[in-house]
Amino acid sequence: MILVPGLLTVLLAFMEYDALSAPTWSGLQNFVTLFRREVFWIAVRNSLLFVGTAAPLQLLGALGLALLLHPQRLGVRQYRIAAYLPSVIPDVAYALIWLWIFNPLYGPLNKVLGWVGLPGPAWLVDADLALFALVFMACFRIGEGMLVLIAARQGMPPEYFQAAALDGGNRWQLFRYITLPLLAPWLLLLLIRDILLSAQSNFTSVYMMTEGGPGYATTMLPYLIYDEAFSHFRIGHAASLLLLMFVGIGALLWLLYKTVGGWGYADEV
Amino acid sequence: MKFKTVSLERVLWQMAAVSMALLFVVPLCWVLTNSLRPVGLPPPRTLEWFPQPIAWSNYAEIFRIVPLGRQIGNSLLVSTLGAVITLVTASWAGFALAQLPNRVRQLLVGLAVVLMMIPSTVVWLPRYIMFTSVGLIDSYAALIAPAVMGTKSLYTLMFYWTFRRVPLELFESARLDGAGAFLIWRRIALPLALPTALAVLLLTFNHYWSDFVDPLLFLKSERRYTLAVGLRMLQQMDITNWSLLLAAVVVMTAPVVLVYLVIQHFIRDDVGLSRLMKR
Repeated sequence: MILVPGLLTVLLAFMEYDALSAPTWSGLQNFVTLFRREVFWIAVRNSLLFVGTAAPLQLLGALGLALLLHPQRLGVRQYRIAAYLPSVIPDVAYALIWLWIFNPLYGPLNKVLGWVGLPGPAWLVDADLALFALVFMACFRIGEGMLVLIAARQGMPPEYFQAAALDGGNRWQLFRYITLPLLAPWLLLLLIRDILLSAQSNFTSVYMMTEGGPGYATTMLPYLIYDEAFSHFRIGHAASLLLLMFVGIGALLWLLYKTVGGWGYADEV
Repeated sequence: MKFKTVSLERVLWQMAAVSMALLFVVPLCWVLTNSLRPVGLPPPRTLEWFPQPIAWSNYAEIFRIVPLGRQIGNSLLVSTLGAVITLVTASWAGFALAQLPNRVRQLLVGLAVVLMMIPSTVVWLPRYIMFTSVGLIDSYAALIAPAVMGTKSLYTLMFYWTFRRVPLELFESARLDGAGAFLIWRRIALPLALPTALAVLLLTFNHYWSDFVDPLLFLKSERRYTLAVGLRMLQQMDITNWSLLLAAVVVMTAPVVLVYLVIQHFIRDDVGLSRLMKR
């Protein structure tokens, strides 16, 4: 179900195919055409920008929630359920909810801003803000990351913290020299996951909320692939795009791997 | 003195936790209250907590505008079939995985983890072409097809982790007593994995219920549309009528949240849930 389609995509990337006539071999032509189109580069830029901001922010958010909600205290279960809630809402419903929240006229977000005395921007209609708005709404779906980090934090022996506290370590030092290094492998794992997911999960929100606009401000690779394949029936082009995106994500993860110095990172701890 | 500082810290913690929870929940409450706002009123000037008067009729109205009833039926059918088939295939795969020799097992588990990492975008096109060539486009079979392979390798792994904790001798002795593989799976393995089975069942139900892209790509005729696509239809018809749109959002979200709360109830410790992510 995944391997066979994968191979099919690679083949299609080098073909001219419109879903009606038989595919014909076209070599690298698809890629050349793509590289000449401006919208391709815009989509690449937007995708990188989205992944580059959404993934780290989601990780930070999940870490913050986990640090807040790891102790077993009164009501902690309910708080966790509350924080997890946005993560279970279906994508379509989530997109519509935020389309409403961001609405400059009806939406509650600008009402709140007006209440505090701030001017309400046009959010999704503003080409400079639209992508940021999509990142913002993605930052609330961090329930799974939070649960993983809570579990990891609870797995740490309390003796470490008691010993360090006896030696006069303050709160920040405990976090910096005990919690953070012990969480590092989990954080890395989650970052990889967030990169993979955020690179492709933006399709539904873009499709429902902005259709790539205003202009091309929120056109990202998944939406462009959909548009090419199912609105213009340039399936060969779409397959080339898919292949490039796949390679791109691979390159991004490789870069991350190089930066942290290999998967053996966890063993140093 | 010491007691006092501790309780102060607790109070601060409670305040932080409550404001965090509000941040996550209040928008959803707004959705609920605004879905009850009468249609046709001018946009509110300020933040409205309770609509005046409450318009329950919004919920009847959306069923009139869009064939929501049929769509809910379609969604229920797809989600239930998908969940049940997945339960069978994933538990078979996990059951088999737990009994394989070490070498093969490690290879397959590794493969399953890699598959978890592959973005779903990659399979849109090839699946579309495959389904077109075998004539499955515009049928529910195209939507449920992944269930035959256990939907997500994660679900197979969940069963594998559960079955691995069962001592192999248990299955061995049943086999010596003359029970076949199917009987062992049905009578011994599945009952032992009841919590996992329930979790997988509910998770896959949510997965198929929430699925938007697959019905969008693979369904053509309107009467087969699922609720997810129905929401899109409603949005395209009436973009400014927010109360109605939000009412539809509530209709779509409520079952998922309910299912999630049920899972929460059954999986008491969060550590258990986090195993889902562990590799």
